[in-house]
Amino acid sequence: MIDKIRAKARELLESGQVYCFIGYEEGTRGRVRPAFVYEPREADRLIWDERCTYNLVAYLHQFQPAFSPRPGGVREVPPRVGILVKPCDSRSLNVLFHEEQVEREGVYVVGLTCQGVKVNGQPQARCQRCAERVPLVYDLVMGGVPKTVGREDYVDVVKLEGMSPGERLAFWMKEFDRCIRCYACRQACPACYCFECVAEQLDPLWMGIAIDLPQKQFFHVMRAYHLAGRCSGCNACEEACPMDIPLSLLNRKIAREVESLFGYKAGQDAQTPPPLATFKKDEELAL
Amino acid sequence: MATDFEPRIVGFLCRWCSYPGADLAGTSRITYPPSLRVIRVPCSGRVDPLFVLKAFQDGADGVMVLGCHPGDCHYVEGNYYTRRRYALMHRLLEYVGVERERLLVEWISAAEGGRFAETVTAFTAQVSQLGPWGREGREGRERREGMEGGNGGRRREVS
Repeated sequence: MIDKIRAKARELLESGQVYCFIGYEEGTRGRVRPAFVYEPREADRLIWDERCTYNLVAYLHQFQPAFSPRPGGVREVPPRVGILVKPCDSRSLNVLFHEEQVEREGVYVVGLTCQGVKVNGQPQARCQRCAERVPLVYDLVMGGVPKTVGREDYVDVVKLEGMSPGERLAFWMKEFDRCIRCYACRQACPACYCFECVAEQLDPLWMGIAIDLPQKQFFHVMRAYHLAGRCSGCNACEEACPMDIPLSLLNRKIAREVESLFGYKAGQDAQTPPPLATFKKDEELAL
Repeated sequence: MATDFEPRIVGFLCRWCSYPGADLAGTSRITYPPSLRVIRVPCSGRVDPLFVLKAFQDGADGVMVLGCHPGDCHYVEGNYYTRRRYALMHRLLEYVGVERERLLVEWISAAEGGRFAETVTAFTAQVSQLGPWGREGREGRERREGMEGGNGGRRREVS
């Protein structure tokens, strides 16, 4: 499997089909880190195993031109990039294709079927909930036929919904109180790509930048809301969080509501607009 | 709940329907509680959910978003987006512990002065029942009151 990935990366780089191949490599202390391979002879650095949790789609932005040209201007063609995607990553990729942040022709997608990944040897809860074992978008898919699929039952979200507003507030305040506003959640997220994030905008000052409880609380609500109908559930934010704030509880709540209100699941294809970017005239929504 | 509590309510009123509706309530001499602070916006579709968060963050006890009836938007489709956004926002705020009753999204046309007054009266009563928004809300308010006069918080006057 690893050999197949390396061979494909080498072939793509040698033939000049891609300028860079993004994959995983062995890091320090038994961990895995993202690898950016530019030379065919370096393709042997690549690895693939169950420790490869990172969503590499987040790194695609740096290969895109910063601004679109003026009308009539010459369009800058971004270099073509090869990338390894797991099923969850492929959904984020679909979101970026739809939002025209990444061009479909600009990436060579090597999809990997996935039986779930592990962090520190622990199987991930999100993988047990994941119903997709085959990427939704790829140029080439590798890996065996997946045996099991997970099921999303939202048990923890429902449990939190069952609390009284006061209890919920206390629960979230306890969680958000740990936030140090490092923005690791935002940086890790493939769907957070604004050049200037409202969380750091000073004029107007929408989100206070103080480490102050209401500001921390609403920073997280804002972040989650901006991902409404766009979050693919890759959980990169929660994994990146140094303070272990359960961000997936927020993201999955929204995913659940989006599905029940608008019948939409993020990243299933690159054509359907996300629910908040469209509307139906005669829909009944409880306000 | 303390009876002398007067909630601070921030209202985002659309320039074409709800704001003239509020005007009509005024010119018709209909009384309604002074708890509402009106912010005029071009369209209810302009009201980014961030505005609502900002209001709660800075100590509002309740927020109203008022716009044209669906189908009547001056910009044809603005309030359809509002409807979708706030259907979701309601559920999200409730989930993080902001009571559902603190946010009201309502459609009020320019001819509905009476209904505007009724809506504000009912919403004020509803928020008064709940009391001030959170410990953080009260703290934020104290901070702000301590700051009034200076420009410590970089807050600008909104005309």
